[in-house]
Amino acid sequence: MNQLADRCVLRSMYKSDLHSVLEIIYQHDDDDGEAAEEELNDLGLEGHHVIVDGDTVLGATGYRPVEGCDQTYYLSWTYLTESARGQGLGKRMLREAMDELANQGARKIFVKVSDYQEDGVNIYGSALAMYKSFGFKEELISQDFYDEGESQTILGYYFDAGSESDDDLQVQEEKPVIRFNGLFEIAETEGAYSFAWTVEKTKGFLNKRNFDAQDVQVGLDAVRDEGGRKVFLTFPSNLVLIHRPLQATGFKYVGRLKDYYEAGLHELHFSHDLSSW
Amino acid sequence: MFPIKDDNPQVATPYAVYALLALNAVAWLLLQGAGSSPALGVSICQYGFIPANVTHASNALNTPEVCGLTAGPGWLAVLSSMFMHGSWMHVIGNLWFLWIFGDNVEDAMGSLRFVIFYLLCGVVAALAQMFSNPGSTIPMVGASGAIGGVMGAYIVLYPRVKVHLLFILVFIFTTFRVPAIAMLGYWIVIQVVGGMTSTGATGGTAFWAHIGGFLAGAILIWLFKDEELLENHPFRGWRQARNPIDIWDDPDNKA
Repeated sequence: MNQLADRCVLRSMYKSDLHSVLEIIYQHDDDDGEAAEEELNDLGLEGHHVIVDGDTVLGATGYRPVEGCDQTYYLSWTYLTESARGQGLGKRMLREAMDELANQGARKIFVKVSDYQEDGVNIYGSALAMYKSFGFKEELISQDFYDEGESQTILGYYFDAGSESDDDLQVQEEKPVIRFNGLFEIAETEGAYSFAWTVEKTKGFLNKRNFDAQDVQVGLDAVRDEGGRKVFLTFPSNLVLIHRPLQATGFKYVGRLKDYYEAGLHELHFSHDLSSW
Repeated sequence: MFPIKDDNPQVATPYAVYALLALNAVAWLLLQGAGSSPALGVSICQYGFIPANVTHASNALNTPEVCGLTAGPGWLAVLSSMFMHGSWMHVIGNLWFLWIFGDNVEDAMGSLRFVIFYLLCGVVAALAQMFSNPGSTIPMVGASGAIGGVMGAYIVLYPRVKVHLLFILVFIFTTFRVPAIAMLGYWIVIQVVGGMTSTGATGGTAFWAHIGGFLAGAILIWLFKDEELLENHPFRGWRQARNPIDIWDDPDNKA
């Protein structure tokens, strides 16, 4: 038996662990370290765990619920320090976190993985393999997401395999009023932007209900002015008015995260490559 | 032959149609005494639209002076007459058509716009009837002109939608489905034939109001319809409507 694995325990992450956890992430990738530091400080440590050997933090994992969704989670920063890899600790960490989620009634969890290469080696390759062996399935790949040549793969996992929907939710109620209200560079990326949007309660008598191609173009021009490389947008699958303006301005369909909001209601991903325009 | 329903799913609650149905019913029951005498006759003269009353044209067709030329509220009657009816059959028939066809037209523009659209069609209908015989002394009542406008809009918006018709042949009751273009097309042809052949001297159906309202609706709908509201309507237009999301099935639109 592996002695280290026997000695290790998974416990909740505390503020006092933060330094060690961030050190592990920074060891791996500076961008990730920065993003993790900001996120963990801003959103807190709930749902986060560390695996420790005595007082030494060897790795971390965690999950965050997705706001406005039915029991949907994202797997949070999941890293192991280099010396602890290859001993089944990652799998164990993931299993315990997932068991905890399952007990809480989680429906689906997603995880984002980069394909970043260092010296020709995909440094997240083993993580990706671990997720897949656990039962995560690849749902979409956003090319050049983190940076030119570094894509993002999103994998999904159903806690109850039977909960995968067969049908798309057909929503025929009145169309929501959607407005863009800002743009931002996506965390952990170099030059990938997204637009913020809101749903307004009512529409004026002569106003539009949805953004049109001109509105999208204003956003694209603004991103270009900021030196942006690519624009990524996500929308729920039941909005009918978004498609024409996005297509007309050159957005491409990346794929969807199935049953993201609830069974039958997916998250659609679109991208626009500014360099090709 | 009578439409009993259409295969046109409704998207939003048709508040305007409900309100118009209620207003017509209330007017019939309270102002017109549900058709009882003398309330019916008094209300028709008081709120009906008498072309000669406003045009002061000579009564060339020598129509009977049912109300006397001083009766009625003049031009305001263009609006008030839209909420008056002549009989139970008249009011039920009109409101039934509004019920069947109005909801989907309201769906295409929203409630507030629908009310304006409806009233405008009614006004054009009354004017059309007036121009067909400016010196007429016969009071005109009924929502048919405005509802003709709703039907005109419907035929433009949803020509292919199937309408279920009740067909009564002596004692055989049966239903069959025809596209809206056929049912409403048949209706407007009947109105045109009626308009061409009736003398207008004795009253009866205001064919020209129906035709005027129908044309007004078919034209005004281009101004009033809200493309965003129609986007997801499965039966709009002539071609099989595509689900907007299917646009991404095209390989050119994939990342």
